[in-house]
This record gives sequence, structure tokens and C-alpha cells, in this order.
Amino acid sequence: MSSAKLRPRDIGPMVLILVFVFISVAPLLWLALAAFKPTADIIAIPPVWIPDFTYLQNFKDVLTQFWPFIVNSLIATAGATVLALILAVPTAFALVNHRFHGREALADWILSTRMMPPIAAAVPLFVIFRGAGLLDSLPGLIIAYAGFNLPFAVWMTMSFVRRVPKELIEAARLEGCTWWQVLTGVVLPLSKSGLAAVATFVFIFAWNEFMLALFLTTREAKTFPVVISSFIGTGRVYWEYIAAASVIQCLPPVLFTFFMQKHIVSGVTMGAVKD
Amino acid sequence: MANAAMRAGTPQEAPRRAFIHSDRFQMTAFIAPTCIFLAMLTIWPFIYSVYLSLHAVKLTAMKRAVFVGANNYVNLLSDPLFLRAMLNTGMLAVTSIICEIIIAFVVAKAFVSLSHLKFFNGLRSLFLLPMMVTPLIVGMIFSYVFNPVLGIANYVLGGIGLGPIPWFGDSMAAMFSILLINVWQWTPFMMLLIMAGLLSIRSDLYEAARVDGAKWHHVLRLLEIPSIKGIVLLGIILRIIDTLRFFDVVYVTTRGGPGDSTMVLTLYAYQQNFQFFQAGVGSAAAVIILVISMVITTFAVRLLRRIENE
Repeated sequence: MSSAKLRPRDIGPMVLILVFVFISVAPLLWLALAAFKPTADIIAIPPVWIPDFTYLQNFKDVLTQFWPFIVNSLIATAGATVLALILAVPTAFALVNHRFHGREALADWILSTRMMPPIAAAVPLFVIFRGAGLLDSLPGLIIAYAGFNLPFAVWMTMSFVRRVPKELIEAARLEGCTWWQVLTGVVLPLSKSGLAAVATFVFIFAWNEFMLALFLTTREAKTFPVVISSFIGTGRVYWEYIAAASVIQCLPPVLFTFFMQKHIVSGVTMGAVKD
Repeated sequence: MANAAMRAGTPQEAPRRAFIHSDRFQMTAFIAPTCIFLAMLTIWPFIYSVYLSLHAVKLTAMKRAVFVGANNYVNLLSDPLFLRAMLNTGMLAVTSIICEIIIAFVVAKAFVSLSHLKFFNGLRSLFLLPMMVTPLIVGMIFSYVFNPVLGIANYVLGGIGLGPIPWFGDSMAAMFSILLINVWQWTPFMMLLIMAGLLSIRSDLYEAARVDGAKWHHVLRLLEIPSIKGIVLLGIILRIIDTLRFFDVVYVTTRGGPGDSTMVLTLYAYQQNFQFFQAGVGSAAAVIILVISMVITTFAVRLLRRIENE
């Protein structure tokens, strides 16, 4: 804090951090490097340490063959993010600003649904979706992903809505604004960056989802993770596809980690811990 | 009443507008859709799962359900594979959370003590990467790194005269590998929480402890542990909930094998439901998972409220 100089007692922590950062990054990097290698180099022992980064055939192959599934993932994820926010923002706003009997109990119930393991809802969800013709469809995935991320979105939005000064809301009410006008005119503009963080988190959670997509989709609406999982089936393992597809799949979350670092603490604790 | 309705026009519109503008109506309109949606996703599936768990029923022929009472539960609790899944899930939760907390604390202390150096603050993002990466890809990464033929792990170990380790090849090693992957992925999460806790300790308290001649274990026991207790407890609960839904990594690396050595609860329920189509048994397993998570959730909700009010 006081000075940016190197102190002798810093050496220990420095070595420790460098070791642990290496452990964190090395496995990720090793698969990412494989994406730039021809098949023979991927399985070579002794390993080819540094690939030729101009070799982009794996990426070309994956993008040309599996592009529709990347689009599926994008649509399902973006759709779920929008739907979850449309539902969550007014709810969070009302739970913070409207005093009514059972308010805390309702908020707690919403939070408790976040803790429910998706497998517990799997069969019932599968059965309704089959009945409603939503199996293997993007609207189906959007509904499922929005639903499972809704509790998180409500809670994290609440933590941002709470930071809007109460006096501003009261002033707007005195001027005769409806609650809807207070929400869109006062609260939304003031919590824009917070809502962006909520949206990004929902996007990443939905983007990373695998199990629901595995049984809710079969062909048309398959998401990219489901396709990637099929590269490691019973026959030959397509390492060159796995590597290139993994790089593409991990791009959004990795970029997010760098750009949204300051919101991560509040994101992983559903807004309970302030950033 | 009919007369009132026939007296059309403005006088009767006013109360309607007043109703639409009332707090109660507006707030209900804000909250109701979310609650209905969540109830459909949680309460209804729960009731339906309980119903299915009391029947012998195939996912492919739902109409032909036969009531069997508690049979599915009895069978489940005498199925060694399910018991193994329970045991593995429990073991995984306990061992991985303990390892994560210890490593995370040490790393968090190191990051806090170097917080005056910009370069090391930047390294934090790199350290956090594993927790953000798609869990399925984490499975892929370690299938590649721990591969018995082309894996880099055994090659490097061989280079320093160790191994080879049969990472996913035998039952002891496979469980250990799954544990290792879990710790690798989630230590950053714990680190983040513990660091937030440590940063909330005022520096004059450390100063006072130093002046009083406190040893490091005094500082740890009397200052640091009390300050991070709440947030670590929250982390533990969220990690237990995560472990109950742990699926993606075992699905790609071991599929619960070799034998039943890495079977976990969610994978068990998934296979019963969607591979063997045993919706009755699968639902019974799902209900048990749900009940466990409900007990934990009750604690979690209270804790989150308390931390938030601090």
C-alpha cells in the first residue's frame, strides 16, 4: 500500500503465487496449445511443446462442421439472459421497495430455489417439454436456462437495486410517477453497470451448462457443449476437434474473468458479499 | 350492480385506474410472473417426482405406471451402486472442501500481502480462470493431461523418475484424480471469498497485534479466523450444493468407473432416468438428492441473510 517497492519478506509469497498461478493455468494452456497442432503432434510423445500458431486447420474444421451448434448455444444463452432479466429486474425492484407481509419469506423462497439441484427437476421437465413439443427446441432451452438462473438474477439484482438512494425513489413517487416509471426512469439508469454484471453472469452460467442440454436436446437444438462431449465417444477420440472446440467454448468465460474481475466476488455469492 | 355498470363513462373508470395505479396491483404484477415461473420449475416437479418415485414406471411409457409404494426407495437403499454414489459424493464434498480451504487460505494470504504490487494483482485473474471455465471442458482438459498414452502428466512425472500414475485407470487413483480436479477448479472460488474476508480486517488490528507481540497463530486464531468465519461457511454451503450436482467432469472422464469407484449422486440419477429409462427409481434418487439439498439450503438461506445484514 505505502510503497510499491520490493521487500525481502515478499519473496516467499511471490514464489508461492507464481507456483499456484502456474498450476491454475498450465492445464488450460496445454489443451489450448493442442488446438494449433496437427493430429500427429497432439498425440506425440515426447510432446511437441511449441506449436506452429499459423496452423489453423482444426479451428476451420470445427467452425465449418459445427457452426450451427455454436449458433444454438448463442441463441439459447442470449435468449435465456434476456428472459431472466426481464423477469428478475421488476421482481427484485418490488422486493426491495415494496413493504408487504411475507416479503422476506418470499425472497428466501426465491433464493432457496437456486439451491435446487437440476437433476431433481429433470424428469418432470422432460415430461412437460415432451408434452408441449419443447424437446429439442431452442425456446425450450431458453425457458429452462432462464428458469434455473432466475433466482440468482433476482438476488444479485436486489443487491444493486438496494444501492439506489431511497430519497430519489421517494421524490419520484411524490411527483406522481407510477412504480413502473420509477423503475424505468430512476432505478434502471442508476444500476446499469450492476445489471450488466448480472446479465454477464447469467450468460456465462447458461453458456457453461451441459447436463440439461444433454437430455433436453437430441439433434436440432443441440448446444455446443453437447457436441463437444460427443468427440470423446466409444471409438476414436477426436483430440484435434476437442482442443479447438474447447478454445472456442472457453473464450467468453475467460474474457469475462479479465474484464469483470471486480464483480466476481458479488457474483459468486449472489450479491451477499459486496465488491 | 348492473345499474352501476350501465352508468358508463368517466365516473366508473376512475376506480379502475386507481386500482391499476395502486401499489398492490403494480407490485403484484412485478413479482407474480417470477413466482409462477419458479413454482412451475420447483414445486410442481417436486410433487411430480414424489408421485413417480412411488411407481414402477418407464420414461418411454409414462402412461403405464404401477403404484409400488416405497419399493423404489427400498431398492435404492439396498443398491450398492447408489450407496457408493452417496458415499463418494459425501467423501468428495468433505475432502475437497477441506483441501480447498487450506490452499485457498495460504494463497489468499499471499495475495493480500502482495496487494501493493500491481503485477501480482493482475495475476489474480489468471489464478481465478479454472472456476470460470466450462466444467465440461475441465473434464476434457484432464482427460487429455491424464491420458495414459499421450498424457503430459505421466510424461513429466517420468522425466523426474516418478510414476506412471494410472490416473483414471484404477479405482483408488480415479477417485483421487476426481478429487484433484475438483480442488483445482474450486480453490480459486474459496480463495476469492477468503480474500474478501481478509481484506475486511482493519490494518490497525494487525498493527495492534504486532505491538502486543502476538505470534502468527494468535493472529490466525483470534483475528483472522473470526473475521472470515461467516464467509467461509457460506463458501462451504455453496460448495456442498455444487457437489450434489457434480456431473459434467465425471461424465467425460470416468462415467462413474472403473467399476463403481467414481459414481456420484447426480450421475446415478441421470443414468437411471435417461439411459435405463427407470423413471421410478431415478425419481426416488432425485427426491433423496433434493431432500439433502433442502436441509442444507435452510442453513444457507439464514446465513446469506445474516451476512447481508452485517
